[in-house]
Amino acid sequence: MKQAALKVKRTREPHLGERAFPRLMLAPTLVVMAILTAYPLVFTFVYSFTDYQYLKGAENASFVALKNYADLIQNVYFRQAVWNTVKFTLLAVFFEMVIGLLIAVFINSLRRGQKVMRTLLLLPYLLPAVTVALSWRMMLSSNYGIVNQVLESLHLPVYNWFMDTKTAFGTILLIDVWQNVPFVFLLLYASLQSVSESQYEAARIDGAGVIQQFWYVTIPNIKNGLALCALLRTIDTFRLFEKVNILTGGGPAGTTSTITQYLYNYGIRNLKFGFGSAGAIVMTLLVLILASAYIKRAIK
Amino acid sequence: MKKLLTLILALAMVLSLAACGGKKEEAKPAEGDAQASSEPTKMTLILRGGTYGDVIKAALPAFEAEHNVKCEVLDLSFDDLHTKIALNAPNPQGEYDLCMVDGSWMAEFTANNVLANLSDMGYSFDDDIIPATTDICMVDGDIYLAPYFGNVTVMLYNKQLIADAGYAPEDIDTFADLMDIAQKTNAAGKKGFLIRGGSGDNIVSDFIPHLLAYGGWVVDENNQPTVNTPEFKAAFQNYINLYKLGDTMDKDDIVAAIDNGDAALAQGWPGWYVPTADSNANYTVIPTKLDDNDTPKNTSMYGVWTIGVCENSPNKELALELLKYLMDPEVQLASIDGGGVPCRYSCLLNADVLAKYPHLETVCSALETGVYRPVIEEWAEFTNILGMEMDAVIQGTKDMDKGLADAQSALEALLA
Repeated sequence: MKQAALKVKRTREPHLGERAFPRLMLAPTLVVMAILTAYPLVFTFVYSFTDYQYLKGAENASFVALKNYADLIQNVYFRQAVWNTVKFTLLAVFFEMVIGLLIAVFINSLRRGQKVMRTLLLLPYLLPAVTVALSWRMMLSSNYGIVNQVLESLHLPVYNWFMDTKTAFGTILLIDVWQNVPFVFLLLYASLQSVSESQYEAARIDGAGVIQQFWYVTIPNIKNGLALCALLRTIDTFRLFEKVNILTGGGPAGTTSTITQYLYNYGIRNLKFGFGSAGAIVMTLLVLILASAYIKRAIK
Repeated sequence: MKKLLTLILALAMVLSLAACGGKKEEAKPAEGDAQASSEPTKMTLILRGGTYGDVIKAALPAFEAEHNVKCEVLDLSFDDLHTKIALNAPNPQGEYDLCMVDGSWMAEFTANNVLANLSDMGYSFDDDIIPATTDICMVDGDIYLAPYFGNVTVMLYNKQLIADAGYAPEDIDTFADLMDIAQKTNAAGKKGFLIRGGSGDNIVSDFIPHLLAYGGWVVDENNQPTVNTPEFKAAFQNYINLYKLGDTMDKDDIVAAIDNGDAALAQGWPGWYVPTADSNANYTVIPTKLDDNDTPKNTSMYGVWTIGVCENSPNKELALELLKYLMDPEVQLASIDGGGVPCRYSCLLNADVLAKYPHLETVCSALETGVYRPVIEEWAEFTNILGMEMDAVIQGTKDMDKGLADAQSALEALLA
């Protein structure tokens, strides 16, 4: 009898207030999302099919169908920028993850001085990207930069770091890795804090060495943190702009041009917002593809 | 009760969000009212960062005191300045009163009603201003801008290194001389000639004097591109040959390299460096001939920084007053000590000034005979495309024929 009553209670239709309550709770977030994300995205998408030039005004823009997309895809420098961005993202995320993980494991293993090291290591990440770029530009100047002066004093070859096709890409990669390793370190360090010491003790009793403990205890325990960290760094690196814009402007010969830099040069700077919008949509799609694995996992 | 409270909270959040978008229009006092009250009128100036804007900032206190205004100044890079002025233009009431404009933006800005017509507001040029520098400031006889900072390409050289190569500054009058100095300096283990890298505009602007010396130009009389011509190729080859005796650098490195004796020659702009009698570097005019048998040509390119009033300025009359004040001969004369380069004979040929800054005589002659960049709306995009292809050729990732053919076809599509 009681069970039947419970069954009736469970299958009762929720009344109007119960149905409206969750929707009301979601409403503020949905309003913010609609204003700040959906609205600009829809407009960017619409403008990407027009020849909208800002100074001419949106009212004078004409529908050009897929012309902007065709122009983008046919443009050899856009393709170069896409390739540079993908290459840069893969390399930067790989190095940041490896170095960040090694530092996190090392700091986590320290018995003393963890707090001091943690604070010191975070400093590069606290600096704005523009400040980082300008500081490195001074240090790597081919005339008055400290790096070349040190190399010269050691009788080593000096380079024109940002203007040479052989060194420009690698130099920006190095600066980006230097600045973002602390972010990876911090996230992975937090994950490592949650790994139980008893698991390491059990592994040691079973005769596991340092590498085996790392591979069979540490990595499985922090794999979610690693995945999240890799995703966040991938999305962020894919949007790389300030450092390239300040240090090389995409040169020499387009070797450091990224998608955002290309869009700035050929879309935003010339106020061709229709063309720029098409590029922004292509970039959004590429980021979505890269992030799809994580998004799929999150939805599940 | 709990649900009611939650409902009220949710509604409050939505309303507060909606309120965030609302903006209470503050009653703006009329210009005359503001003048009459003790509250200073706020004016906003949008300027090119560096010496160009610094000399204006230095002149502002006297104007502020006289007119009871408070000027806020935005110092921006070349690209940011262009973008911000353009983004502000379509607003019925803009944020900026006085703006600094590069001559190459003139066509785009006047075609889109960005600048106020100064002739209609009662402004005219006086005879003291170098006439050639005013050409870019006018459209169909109407004045839109005033030439404030006389930027024109000049040859920057290291005194010691050109002396070591056996030259006096006045002897450098052909491009053959430049090559000779660059070769001798390079043989001595230094950089002979520096070219400017970076954005497309930097690369194209740095190259144009060479193109002019070879009798070429970037567009024809119908403003169609001419970048795949024998003259262009010959000039570009000479430019690359000079680069191979030196290096490519950004502005700051070029100035430092010439000043500290690492490099002998580079093209530059007067705003980059203020030479004095005992400085290591100085300016001379860019040679006008290829060799001694050639006929002279105008090879200096204008990059005059002009000032204008934004069409949607909230204080147009005051902005015009400020423009007149900044163009005043006395104010311009005073700007020279801060690195200013007026476009006025009375300032550039002043005996006291020349005693202190002898290079200004060179600048004055260059300002009289310079060449403007093409007045086309698409110039920014033009330099992007051409600069990118030229950079690829300079860096060796494309051969010259392919690079210039690609540039020509892309520019034809742009200007079609």
